[in-house]
This record gives sequence, C-alpha cells and structure tokens, in this order.
Amino acid sequence: MQYQSQAVAKPYFIAAIGLFVGQILFGLIMGLQYVMGDFLFPAIPFNVARMVHTNLLIVWLLFGFMGAAYYIIPEETESELFSPKLALLMFWIFLVAGALTVVGYLLVPYAALAKMTFNDLWPTMGREFLEQPLPTKLGIVVVALAFLFNITMTILKGRKTSISLVLLMGLWGLAVFFLFSFYNPSNLVLDKYFWWWTVHLWVEGVWELILGALLAFVLIKVTGVDREIIEKWLYMIIAMTLITGIVGMGHHYFWIGTPEYWQWFGSVFSALEPIPFFMMTVFAFNMVNRRRREHPNKAATLWALGTGVMSFLGAGVWGFLHTLAPVNFYTHGTQITAAHGHMAFYGAYVMVVLTIISYAMPVMRGRAANSNKSQVLEMWSFWLMTVSIVFITLFLTAAGILQVWLQRVSTTPLGFMAAQDQITLFYWMREFTGLVFLTGLVLYIISFFVGGESKEAA
Amino acid sequence: MSTQSLTLDKHQPGTPPGDMAIWLFIYAELLAFGVFFLSYAFARAHNVELFNESQQHLNRESGAINTVVLITSSYFVVRAVAAIREGLSRQCAHWLSAAIGLGGVFLVIKLFEFHAKFSAGISLSTNTFYMFYLSLTIFHFMHVILGMVILAAVMLKARRGGYTAEHHTGVETGASYWHMVDLLWIILFPLVYVIR
Amino acid sequence: MSQAFTKSMARNIFFGGSTFFFLLLVALTFDTMQVLPKRDHRENITPAVAHGKMVWEKNNCIGCHTLLGEGAYYAPELGNVYKRRGGEFVKAWIQSRPAEGTPGARRQMPQFNLTPEELDDMVAFLKWTGEINTSNWPPNIEG
Repeated sequence: MQYQSQAVAKPYFIAAIGLFVGQILFGLIMGLQYVMGDFLFPAIPFNVARMVHTNLLIVWLLFGFMGAAYYIIPEETESELFSPKLALLMFWIFLVAGALTVVGYLLVPYAALAKMTFNDLWPTMGREFLEQPLPTKLGIVVVALAFLFNITMTILKGRKTSISLVLLMGLWGLAVFFLFSFYNPSNLVLDKYFWWWTVHLWVEGVWELILGALLAFVLIKVTGVDREIIEKWLYMIIAMTLITGIVGMGHHYFWIGTPEYWQWFGSVFSALEPIPFFMMTVFAFNMVNRRRREHPNKAATLWALGTGVMSFLGAGVWGFLHTLAPVNFYTHGTQITAAHGHMAFYGAYVMVVLTIISYAMPVMRGRAANSNKSQVLEMWSFWLMTVSIVFITLFLTAAGILQVWLQRVSTTPLGFMAAQDQITLFYWMREFTGLVFLTGLVLYIISFFVGGESKEAA
Repeated sequence: MSTQSLTLDKHQPGTPPGDMAIWLFIYAELLAFGVFFLSYAFARAHNVELFNESQQHLNRESGAINTVVLITSSYFVVRAVAAIREGLSRQCAHWLSAAIGLGGVFLVIKLFEFHAKFSAGISLSTNTFYMFYLSLTIFHFMHVILGMVILAAVMLKARRGGYTAEHHTGVETGASYWHMVDLLWIILFPLVYVIR
Repeated sequence: MSQAFTKSMARNIFFGGSTFFFLLLVALTFDTMQVLPKRDHRENITPAVAHGKMVWEKNNCIGCHTLLGEGAYYAPELGNVYKRRGGEFVKAWIQSRPAEGTPGARRQMPQFNLTPEELDDMVAFLKWTGEINTSNWPPNIEG
C-alpha cells in the first residue's frame, strides 16, 4: 500500500461484504415466500423483507463505492487523504444509521416507524427503494457531503487524473440526484416522474461513471497498459453512457401518465443503451489482452472481465429485451423486470465492487496478491455466484414470459394470483439457485481466511 | 469543444479530412438521426393519412429557402478550407464568418417557423406527425447552433493566424461537422416537408 | 482507435454530449409539465386523495404490489383495482386480512388496522389513480 490513509477503505469493504450477506439472506426469505406464502408470516411480511433486501443492496454498494474512492483517490492524486479521521467517523455514522434503519424495518410496523420518524412533517417514505425514514435520508446526505468534501479536498491538493475526475463527477452526481428523493408531491404522476430522477439517473447515469472509473483503475493496475489509452476508453464509454442514458430515461415514462412522445424518445435512446456496455466488454478484454505485465492477482482480473461481460448481458441485453414501447406494453411490471434487475445489478455494480475489493484487500493486508489456494477459492466463488445469477435470470425470464402470456396476451386472461400459481415451478428453481449463490458467497468469505504462501508486496 | 483538441497534424491523403474524433462523433450523430428517420418512416407507414394531412400545414417555402441557405453556407465553408490550404488565413476567416452568418439566417427563419407553429397551439403532443416534426427540427436546430460554435472557434483561431497551409486539421474538422449538419437537413427537409 | 484520436477529444465529446442531452431532458421535462395536467386530472386530487396516497405510502403497499406497473411483483397491480374490483371490495379485503395470517395459504397480506377514514381515502386515491391517462396500459383488466 503506497499511502497510509488508503487503509480506511478496509472497514468499508468489510462492512460491504457483511451487508451483502444480509441482502442475500433476505433475498432467500422472499424467494421462499413466493412459493410458501406463510413462511415467517406475520413476523417478516414480504414487503418488509423486500425493503431490507433492496436497501441493504443500495447501502452495501454505497459502502463499496466509498471504500473504493478512499482507496483509489490517494493513489491517483499521489497524496494522503485530506482527513482519514473524518472518513472513519463517517464510516461509523453510516453503519450505525444503516443498522438502526434495518432494525426499525424489522421490529416496528412500517406505519409506526413513519410516525416515530416524523414522516408526517415531510412525507418521503413508502416509495420503492426510497423507503428510508427521514432521519436516515438526512443522514445519507450528511455522510455523502462529508465524504465528498474529504475526497474533493484530497483531489484539489494532489495530482488530477481523469480517473479521479470521473469518479468525483459520479460521486457528486450520486449526491445531487439523491436530493430528488425529498420531493414527494401528492400528485402520483409527478411523484413517479421525479422519483426516476433519483433511481434512473443513479443506476443508468452517474453510477456508471463510478463503475467506469473503478474498472479503469483496476485495469491500469493489473494490465500495466498505458494510462492515456485506458482513460481515453473511459471517456468514450461514459460519453456514450450519458448520451444514450439521459434521454433513455424515457423508457420509464411509457405508462405512468406521461405524454406519449416518451414512447418514441424512450425506445430510440434506450435501444442505444447497450452500446456503452458493449464497449465496456471490449475495453476490458482488449486491455487484458494487451497487458504489459503478469499481475499475480488473477482473481481480480477475472472479476474485471466478469464485470464487462455480465454488465453487458444484464444491463445491455436484458434491458434491451423489454425496452421498446410495444414490447414493454406487455412486460411492464412483470417478472421480466425482476430478471433484468437481478442480472444488471449483479453484473454491473456488485461485480465492480467485488473487483476493487479483490484487488485492494490483499494490498491492504500487505501483499500483492493472495495465495494461490485463496485465489482458487475466490474464483470458485466467482463462478458459483455468476452462474447462479445467470440461472436466476433465466428462470425469472421464463416465469415472466409465462406470466405475460397467461395474464396479458391470452384471449382468456387469468387473474394475477391464478397466473402466479401456474409458474410456481420457476420460483422453486430460482430459490434453489439462490442457495447455490449463497454457497458461492460463503466460499467468497472463506477465501479471505485461507492462508498459504502469499505473493510479495509489489 | 475546445479549440486545442481540434488542432493536430495536416491531412494525410487516403484518410478522411479533419480529426478522427469528429468522425466518430459524426457517425454517432448520423446513427442517432438515422434511427429517428427510420422511426419516422415506421410511424408514417402506420398512419399515412394523418401524416399527409398534417404535412400540408408546414411552411414549405421557408424550408426550401433554408435548404438554399445551408447549401450556400456549406459552399462558403468549402472556400474557407480551400483558402487555408493556400495559407490565406484572413480569407479563410472571412469565408467562415460568412458561413456562420448564413447559419444565423437559418436559425432566424426557423424561429419564425416555430413561432407560427407554437402560436397555432401545436406541441409535441398534438399528434405523432408533429411530435416527429418538432423533435427532428429542434434536434437539428440545436446541431446548427453547435456547428456555429465550432465554426466560430475555428474562425477566431484562423483570424489569429493559428492555421497554416501545412497545419489546418482544425479547419477541416469544423468543416466536416458543418457539412454533416447540412447533410442532415438535406435529408430531413424532403422527408418531413415534402415526401408524401 | 487511431493515434490522432486523443484523450482530450474523448473528454470533449463526453462533456459536450452529456450537457447537450441533459439540456434535451430538461426541455422535454418542461414540455411534459405543460401537458401533464390534461393527463393526470390533478383538479380531482381532493384532500382525501392526497391523504390516501399518504396511507398508501405509510403502509409500504409498494413493497408487494405494483402501481402503474412499478413496485414489487408479489401481489396484483392496483392502478386499475378500482375498475377491476370496486371500492367496497377493496375496503372489505383490506379489513378482513387475518392478523396471524392463514397457515398454509399462498401469499399473505398483513392486517394494517386502517381506520374507516383511512380506508375511504385509500379508495379515493386508487380511484383517482385509475383515471390517469396511461396510454391504455395495462393491456387488460387483470393488470
């Protein structure tokens, strides 16, 4: 590790992985509730489990992004962090706030939680992914601002590279667009319209800048390819991301009361959205093929390549499948959306965070790479989790196609629950595959504790 | 677009004039417009009568004048490139100014046209034809502005004597972009205003 | 990519392109805001409808149901439930959920203990939602 202060990334990464486990456990609970309706009822109703599942995902990815920034920025700027103490303080605040929120979800009925947290004063709760109580939302803003202050000051006093600039823009964008979560008018159409300014402009906008920057950083490290080339690719990829993705937001504006021209704008631009993801895949493979050194950390390289491929499949291909308005008319709000969501989040964001953890953790523990034994185990976990998510996506897609057929296309349409009863088999297969995913995750964690002869520090 | 990025080596035979980046950009633009043109054709095929009826209300005269304006401006840009190849910086700057001026004329005529349409209460939601008409023409309008900004940057640099007979990639780059803007209009005008 | 294509050009395309398209989004949003009143019938948002939306949010209904296709896919679409089932059915259904669930039954809905006023307002909200012009979505009454 070149700079002392990079070490603050370590608790962030550990917390991220811990919360990841929680996310998967709640995913398995929900998966079981899909087929065994009374499982854990009324202790943990489905809506509570889902809220925990999705919020833990968001929070652990944010932990991952912040940890990544604290690790990357000192190395890129060639200077110590502005304030490592502030970074550690924010870590504990964020962790405690996150834990309290989840405990609140689990122990108190949601309506009571809303009352306890002054939701009546400024109602923001009860909207998908933005279920956090007002104090938590404000806490997120405070933590984000302190974090951005710390990172920005570090960049200002050090070397300014394109990677740190892109990362910084992504992180600032993340904070800025989160502010839309405080806008909740009583007009549902307006509410939904601007709800997407947080949700879409995060995952199909500024988060992709963060994704690109993290991937570029790791690729520079493991391949030794010239920084100029990698940063040029980075700019081209994120240029295409925003050129297609900003107006691509139209694909969420087909059926929520918004004007019909969005069907054209949304279809045209989101049909182009796979391009940046395809470029990302080409980029990752191209750089690895042109590598100028054999980095001992094979696992990190595997995660980086995996990010390229899986984000293209999950976000690009599965997104395109149902993005054209005439198709989306039938698939909107079905298991097809769930299928796309699972593979896209895993392929793009989960994998890129695991990529940077895979690269940075050994370095922070004083070695260039883990022992061979440990890496082999990590690669097993890579394949188990990745193949599981592919099958989860395929099963959900199959479930979705049947659902659309039975409930929406057929001349004698079935009701929602009647249609669901017909596709139980796929939910069982999804749940089983989820257990395989959990196995992969457990192996992943074990790989951190496997000893053996490690590679010398670089 | 900053000017520094537009200046590099001189044009080598066998490669497209101007800079590689602008060509990537041009291809991307043509792709985006191409998809929109195809969507237009697709939508029209499903609703020929509505399209033909609405089309009657467009101002074909102003469209035709604008076509002449843009083609003339493209010719001026060609003269500017020819001038700089002879090392004549001042003439190059003059031709570019004239081209930018005609770009301004285009914008003014277009603004009158938009004003008339908006006063008549026409908007993106009036019908599918007007949705395409407004989207495509406004989208193109913004490109004309961008093209004028690029030409202005090139013109200012030319006036300072920043280009020579050997090194003038910047001029070719700006010219290439302007020709694309012109080309798009040459497709757009018959497609949206005339063909039925 | 050729050597002539440098990082600063890629950066310019990034800044220029994203600014351009963000402005386009703002312009389209501006137009959308002009058109929306005709499609969402906001003049019908009574205090009851507004309160109904709060009841909807405070009980995290979106955690199981979709509303205009957005939300969780565990339980039926409710954007058109007023048309599908009628207001009285919706109220009776919400009220009659057993607190301890029905052992062995397929998917369970919690008992939310809503007051009669909350039930009325929820129905008013769902009725208003059903009247939004959604370009004929969903494809049929089953949602």
